[in-house]
Amino acid sequence: MTALPPRWLDKLATKICAPHLREELLGDLHERYALRHKRSGARKAKLFYAREVLGLLRPSVVRRKPSSHGKVSLLNPEILSSYFKIGSRVLLKNRGYSLIHITGLAIGLWACMMVATVVIDSLSYDRQWSRTDDIYRIVGINDRGSSLLERSASSPAPLAQELMRNYPEVEACSSIETELMRFRLRPQDSDAVEASILTADSTIKQILDFKLVAGSFEVPTDNRWKLLITRSFASRIFPGQNPVGRTIYQAPNFGSEASPYEITGLIEDLPYNSQFRADVIQLKSVKHQQLVGNDYIMFTNNYLLLKRGTDVSKFTGKVNQWYAGVMKNNRNRFEFQPLKDVYLHSDFAEGQKVRASAKTIYIFAGVAFLLLFIACVNFINLSIAKAAARVKEAGVRKLLSGSRSQLVIQLLTETMLLFGISICIASLSYVFSLQSVENFLGHKLAMTFTSNLPMTAAALLIAFLTAILTGLYPAFVVSGSKPGHMLQGKFNSSLGQNGLRKTLVVAQFSISVIVLVATIVVRQQLDLMKNKEPGYDKNNLMGIEQTYWNGKGEAFKNELQRIPGVVRSSLSMWMPADGAGHMQREVKDPANPNQRLRVWYVAGDVDLPATLGLKLLKGRTFSDRFADAVNTDSLQKESFEKFENAQKNQNSLMTATAAKMLGITQLDVQNENAHSVPVGVVGDFHNESFYEPMKPTLILAQKSPEYAGMLIRIQPGTEIQVGTAIRKLWKQFFPEKSLRISNIEDKLAKQYEAESKLHQLFMFFSGLTMFLSALGIFGLVVQAAEQRAKEVGIRKVLGASVSGIIALLSTDFVKMVLIAIAIASPLAWFALERWLEHYPYRTTLSWWIFAATGLATLAVTIFTVSFQAIRAAMADPVRSLRNE
Amino acid sequence: MRRSDLGEFEEIVLLAVAALSPGAYSVVIAEELEKETGQAVSTGAVHAALQRLEQKGYLSSQLGEATQERGGRRKRLFSVTTFGGKILNDARVVRNNLWDRIAPGELSKMGLNISEL
Repeated sequence: MTALPPRWLDKLATKICAPHLREELLGDLHERYALRHKRSGARKAKLFYAREVLGLLRPSVVRRKPSSHGKVSLLNPEILSSYFKIGSRVLLKNRGYSLIHITGLAIGLWACMMVATVVIDSLSYDRQWSRTDDIYRIVGINDRGSSLLERSASSPAPLAQELMRNYPEVEACSSIETELMRFRLRPQDSDAVEASILTADSTIKQILDFKLVAGSFEVPTDNRWKLLITRSFASRIFPGQNPVGRTIYQAPNFGSEASPYEITGLIEDLPYNSQFRADVIQLKSVKHQQLVGNDYIMFTNNYLLLKRGTDVSKFTGKVNQWYAGVMKNNRNRFEFQPLKDVYLHSDFAEGQKVRASAKTIYIFAGVAFLLLFIACVNFINLSIAKAAARVKEAGVRKLLSGSRSQLVIQLLTETMLLFGISICIASLSYVFSLQSVENFLGHKLAMTFTSNLPMTAAALLIAFLTAILTGLYPAFVVSGSKPGHMLQGKFNSSLGQNGLRKTLVVAQFSISVIVLVATIVVRQQLDLMKNKEPGYDKNNLMGIEQTYWNGKGEAFKNELQRIPGVVRSSLSMWMPADGAGHMQREVKDPANPNQRLRVWYVAGDVDLPATLGLKLLKGRTFSDRFADAVNTDSLQKESFEKFENAQKNQNSLMTATAAKMLGITQLDVQNENAHSVPVGVVGDFHNESFYEPMKPTLILAQKSPEYAGMLIRIQPGTEIQVGTAIRKLWKQFFPEKSLRISNIEDKLAKQYEAESKLHQLFMFFSGLTMFLSALGIFGLVVQAAEQRAKEVGIRKVLGASVSGIIALLSTDFVKMVLIAIAIASPLAWFALERWLEHYPYRTTLSWWIFAATGLATLAVTIFTVSFQAIRAAMADPVRSLRNE
Repeated sequence: MRRSDLGEFEEIVLLAVAALSPGAYSVVIAEELEKETGQAVSTGAVHAALQRLEQKGYLSSQLGEATQERGGRRKRLFSVTTFGGKILNDARVVRNNLWDRIAPGELSKMGLNISEL
């Protein structure tokens, strides 16, 4: 017996060596191995053999001999058309499978396209300005000790100019504010056009590039207002006319006079994918203000244009150092937020209307990619399952000298056909669903696959690559086995792809379970925040939005009280869901001297506590009998000091939490922390949304406030009639002003729109993932039933019961889904625990959520599987056993 | 004749085929070269050189018998063609001429002993 070299090296050598050289070369190698073995032993011979095999890696050995019968190009049009013909025939023959494939893929591709659009659109915001990279927003950071950092989008109005004076890095600066305004074409018109207006310093021209079409960038010198309007807005209000030089009038929100605005210029529309999208631009001349002074400091959104290539972190350090030197006892710092980040990373910016949350975008993108993953997994799984049937065809083709690459291309063509059809369906649904997605998002999408050609091309390319990647594996599996095995039908035993298939199914169901759990938890969190009692009675409460009362507030209130159905009403400077209060102070935390507490003040007339329905725990509530109410409006006008002094001695109510956190035990005594004289303690109530933890709150009474809203407590079921009566009353009092009235409960619920959207999204996606997973498993069980038809027949002949056979066919799948549940539950728990972390009031992840999800998933699986399993079990065994 | 047609290794292999004729095939050539040079010579390298030489027409080959060590595979036996012989001779003539032109004094300066040659 001659010594033989290691088998794996031999196999490797065979792979490397071209077939026509194998005989002589491998013979040579073996002979030399035998020689070496005899001469210097097994170890050395093996080592040498390994070197020899490596030595085979040279072109003359590796290069395959060209085929003797003339080579036909793989891209020959005749061959290509034959691929297509056979491919389409195969797809038509297996209609059911094709349908499952196409449904799954179309859904996956559609979701991916949609989400890609949303993500690309979000990332495109504010990238189109010529100096985008150099524009920064000043973000104020309020440091209240240890871990309490608070960011805000606004900074002191004079700061930007001060920075420009002191630092050569700053090229230009401007404050930018956007708001909604209503304009009338004539002062006495009753209907008005709503326009979003951007108010900025005249220096804005240096920062953002506006393209002037007609007129000029005129800056008002006197008190007359001047406007630049965009083309589209111009065509809306003055269709076909030259708007420059005309005057429009602002419908008054506050005053009673409609103020005139002269249009001095026409500009190109501002890009929609910018946070500065506006119909109208109002320029104001730059006012020179001092940062340090005794006046109130106005806050505004400041933007800076820095010199190209400025090191922002260094600049930030310099500015903060300077600021700390200028302002004594200062706890404020500043950051410079790049304009590109403003749209997606502004969770702190409360007033900013045009913004999106990066987190939501990530969740959105994540779920969509998982969806596509599931769709592709389905495709692979089904293709492999179906491969058994194709193997015979492949065997015959191989015997008739079809090359492996031809087989691969044939199978890839089928994949391409399926993907092509799916892409067509997905694109169609994309076009038709764009509108509803825009509605869901609440804004238009500026960058879509239909509007942007490069994006379309990229999408097609990516879809093509996905198709190839997805199709490649099944194609190689089918084309890879030996023709002899193929024809004998030895496919299943020869391939170890079962493990992979099972893994894929488990992964698929794990994703479904996670999404389903997330749906339930988001729903619960939403419910919790919507239904949690805020501490006051939010039912049967109406509110008139804050406005100027022109001195007629009290009179209006008296008239209002006479409307049947109105129980109580109160002029209030704080409205639920409209900010936390009318004023805040920061005091030292009695419990922790290194921290500062923020105390909120809520003010209204003396009826406010009763109208809200607050519970009195201790002391007394406000009453007209005492001098509780103070007219702070007039005091504030006189001087700031007088106002502060008056407030110090003003009577107040405090919440239980305020009493506890501020350490106030004695009533009717002036308290430094409360900055007032607490006369009573009321039950805790939430002056902010449930995103915020309970904070100390005090209530002050205000005599006939000028700028205030109105809270109206009504009898249950009288909302409509009270509403009409109030509208009538309003017309009498304020004929020129529009009334904005709302139901407080609805307004409170609207605060949680983000969660509500997320919930809708998860509802939609969990349905889809579950559907796709079920579709995949359905395909597999059909395949299993087909493959095991003979086994089932024999079992039935031998007396197996129908239920036994159903169990036989379903156990595998049920097992896989059980594993998926076991894997997914902890993952879901972990992820959702993280998500819930930042909610001060959060729902608990109780066991039943996981149990219910598990049961639901199992139920779907069993339903899907048994549908086919029952059919297989009921089939007549003669039919499956007859053909051989 | 273009000298660049025959590399150094090729020339040695060609010579080895001539020397081992008529039973010259990769294994014996590689073993012979190993013995002569004292360095390991891989079969692949020898095989590649043989292939090239055959393509150039210096060698001809036919399949020989199979043995047990070869796992029943046949070997490819090589022999030098007339053209190959001419090439070998040309190479030798060039070398010999050059050797002859070296002055005896130079040879001893290089540390070579003439009597050994």
